Amino acid sequence: MSRDIDRTNGPANALSRRQWLAMLGVGSATALAGCLGGDGDDEGNGGENGGTNGGENGGENGGTNGGENGGTNGGENGGENGQSQFPAVSGRYRTNSSASFETLNPVYNTESGAGTAIGRALDQGYTFTPDNEVFPLLYDLSTDSGEVWVFDVREDLQFSDPYGQVTAQDFVYYIQEIHKGPFNSANSSEWGEDINVVQNSEFEFQAELPNPQLLWPETFAPLEYPVPQGLLEPYVQEEDDEGLQQDSELLELQFTGNLGPFSLDEWNRGAGTSYSRNDDYYIQNLDYGPDLFAEAPYFEGADIEVVTSQTSRLNQLSTGEVDASAIPAPRFQEFQDNPNVSVRQIPQPFNSLTALNMRDNGWTGGPGNLFRYKEFRQAMAIAVNKTELINGVLRGLGAPHFTWQPRFSAFYPPEDRIEEFKFGVEPLVGPEMARQRAREALDRSEFDYRFDGDTLVRPDGNTINLTHYHSAGQETERLTCEFVAQEMDEAFGINVNVEAIDGTQYSQNYWSASPQGGTDTVRGEEVTWENPAPTNPGPRSVTSDNAWDMSNVFGLNTFPRNPLTNSAFFDGVTSFYNPVGYYPEDFDPASLFQQAREATSREAFNQAMYDLFANIAREQPYLMLYFQDDLTGYNPNLVGPIEDFANGWNFPAWYFDE
Amino acid sequence: MGLSRYVLGRVAWAGIVSLVIVTATFLLLSFAPNPNIQEAATQAALEGNDPAEAVERERELRGLDEPLYVRYVDFLNGVYTFDWGWSNSRAQPVTEALLESLYYTAQYSVPWTILTVLLGPLVGIYSAANMYNWRDHAATGFSFAGYAMPNFFFAIVISLVFAVWLDLIPVTYKTGVDVFSLQNLRQLAAPIFVLVTGSIAGTMRVARNESAEYINSDFMKTAKAKGVSPLRAYLYHVTRPTMVPLSTTLVGQLLALFLGASLLIEVIFGIPGIGKTTFDAIIAQDTNLVLGATLVFTFIAVVGNLLEDLVFTILDPRISFDDR
Repeated sequence: MSRDIDRTNGPANALSRRQWLAMLGVGSATALAGCLGGDGDDEGNGGENGGTNGGENGGENGGTNGGENGGTNGGENGGENGQSQFPAVSGRYRTNSSASFETLNPVYNTESGAGTAIGRALDQGYTFTPDNEVFPLLYDLSTDSGEVWVFDVREDLQFSDPYGQVTAQDFVYYIQEIHKGPFNSANSSEWGEDINVVQNSEFEFQAELPNPQLLWPETFAPLEYPVPQGLLEPYVQEEDDEGLQQDSELLELQFTGNLGPFSLDEWNRGAGTSYSRNDDYYIQNLDYGPDLFAEAPYFEGADIEVVTSQTSRLNQLSTGEVDASAIPAPRFQEFQDNPNVSVRQIPQPFNSLTALNMRDNGWTGGPGNLFRYKEFRQAMAIAVNKTELINGVLRGLGAPHFTWQPRFSAFYPPEDRIEEFKFGVEPLVGPEMARQRAREALDRSEFDYRFDGDTLVRPDGNTINLTHYHSAGQETERLTCEFVAQEMDEAFGINVNVEAIDGTQYSQNYWSASPQGGTDTVRGEEVTWENPAPTNPGPRSVTSDNAWDMSNVFGLNTFPRNPLTNSAFFDGVTSFYNPVGYYPEDFDPASLFQQAREATSREAFNQAMYDLFANIAREQPYLMLYFQDDLTGYNPNLVGPIEDFANGWNFPAWYFDE
Repeated sequence: MGLSRYVLGRVAWAGIVSLVIVTATFLLLSFAPNPNIQEAATQAALEGNDPAEAVERERELRGLDEPLYVRYVDFLNGVYTFDWGWSNSRAQPVTEALLESLYYTAQYSVPWTILTVLLGPLVGIYSAANMYNWRDHAATGFSFAGYAMPNFFFAIVISLVFAVWLDLIPVTYKTGVDVFSLQNLRQLAAPIFVLVTGSIAGTMRVARNESAEYINSDFMKTAKAKGVSPLRAYLYHVTRPTMVPLSTTLVGQLLALFLGASLLIEVIFGIPGIGKTTFDAIIAQDTNLVLGATLVFTFIAVVGNLLEDLVFTILDPRISFDDR
């Protein structure tokens, strides 16, 4: 069956593997071979991913550093005594990683960890500051209406010999021949046929989009590595995809010239990477940004050690063998009390949620499916005390989740828009209030569900039994499920049975189904699933192989920098990703996304997003629980890391204060 | 039958065994779902293209549209010419990945094997010579304590005490260190100690029981009566006959440990050896590398058994080639 995609509908319907992986968060490690790390405790690169590494994963998932250096403290060491106003170059910046890198070939890499390793030696086009502003690195992006984006490439960028100067031609060739060619490159689908790329001059090119996109840089689509045309040409001529993947110059990053803070010395496949300082780093010539960039970087070298055992990674942090490492929540306090470690609690956009199956094979506890009524989902959200959940399970290291954006997002609705939908915290919390809200749902059900005392019973008078799945081996998820089960019992007398399941098995047999398509009536209109996908195989009558009720296996990305990407989840009932069979009841998200896409001002865009997220908070398509913070421990002498999602955007300005 | 003819026969048999294993592996791989093809289908679906078409194209690209026997001959050709393909999870040729990993594994497995082979029988014979007194109990207790404690747990404890608390050794292995240097000895001391203590108990017990049989034998009494020194008497008249049955247990036991224990030790101490490489390859569904590692372990097992048979005949001349 051929499934033609209308690309003019924006990014919702066509996703690259990179985007697809970026959507799946916290609990997806087991299902996707660790592509995005595990339980919030497994991303051990020290998190300074913010700006210079791999695209969607790198930027969205990234990590750790800071604006505190940003242009303000360049002179703090003083120049009065004739000393340099910049910190001395000293030591090696050593971090550890839980998984080895599948490839360091920037053309093919899709992993966040390898993105960090590549980023040590090769910058990408731009990054984001803590204010969510685009910070140009290799090129500056500008547009008038969002339809034509002009790339101004810096003129002081050099590849290693023999490839010479980086020009617009290198980028254009890379986009035209690799992304748009027959190569399986990292973000090929982000450069569709309908995007026209034109070189304007030696250092300028432009991309003409089919529709205006004011937040195009935030989609990471135009975020590119520089790759020499001369290196690519032989493979392009031969259409040799395999040869390009295996090219040693790309794999060993031997072409990176002055394009990164360090040069890769060695990639030991099982042990990690080591780098030496790049004295000619182009960032020293930037006439904007932090003053500290003028002499960057401030380390003699860098190392990323691959250490599989979490115990060993943490021991390395304790003994000072590494300068940064991720910390699991249960051991956060211990490291907080350790004078040899400086800890950072960094908010991140991957959520933790309980998915409620609204398809025909969901709600196995009785006839009908109460999950389909927003009042019942609200009642469940009211029943779960998020403050207790965060304090009990996350030891307070997280934030409650009300709508599909973290609190730090610029698109989080104003408080007055969301106040009455902040379920699960005072005052909208507690079993009595939950039962009250649930009664509203029962009135809508055609079946005779009723409360017998404080217990919700089936039409035949029996209690309701449901199953709640979590990924096997994921302790935080298990505890979360247990807590939700306990709250369901307390509020409704529903017996929720918590079960562990293998992530891959869940993904294949429960979460996704064979795409069949079909039609259904939604809010009085007939809707046809023209492009069904495994994660939205059709109307609610199209179900996965196995029945399920509730799950906490997948956390999802909320895309706070470019919330339009969330159209993959909520762009109407036929959106690409709707495994739970959610039908919006009282609003039309597709039209709000359309409003945002067509917005010609930031204000109009924000308004559309506020409307969207206020409605999502009200309808609770998923039982949104919390955002768990990324916890990272650093060498206390390291100056740079900050507790911000953009942490790491100015990594070249980090230094040891010794 | 002469020794050379016997050896040739055994080598030929080893060749046949390896061919059977290689063939079985090929068949299993042929009928197992190929992750690259699945990925191509998923990618096509995500991009809105036809997955069936993508699968066909991928099969064609990988030569999977060829008949089975053609692929089998190609496969055999690749295996025996050491063209073992490309490892997708490490972005390097499989042979290079395995050699790199073996280089690190050998650094601890060689001293570990030597120490186990030396210390196990020695402690066993020492125990037998001091049977039922405190020395015997101490030696037995030491061996069994090492055996009883799971390697991964013992490794964590050792690492905590000597690396974190006492700061005497590094927490993890550093690849940049010279093989023959004090620094390397320092970083390998802990893994070797853990492995040796975990593996000598079995050998020690067999050696103790076997040698007990010979300590009071007539030839030992004769030797003592003739004034042979105790060291010489134990070395020549007890150790040698004890080693014959022991050699059978040693090889099998060490091979099993090689696979199991080394993975855990490599994980805890961060050694990028063959155990960890194989484990990672399995997790990443890197079929070429899994296959390569299987072949390496097959080779080790086949050669190990061959050596074991040869050692038998050298240790005990009474065992003739004709009987085998």
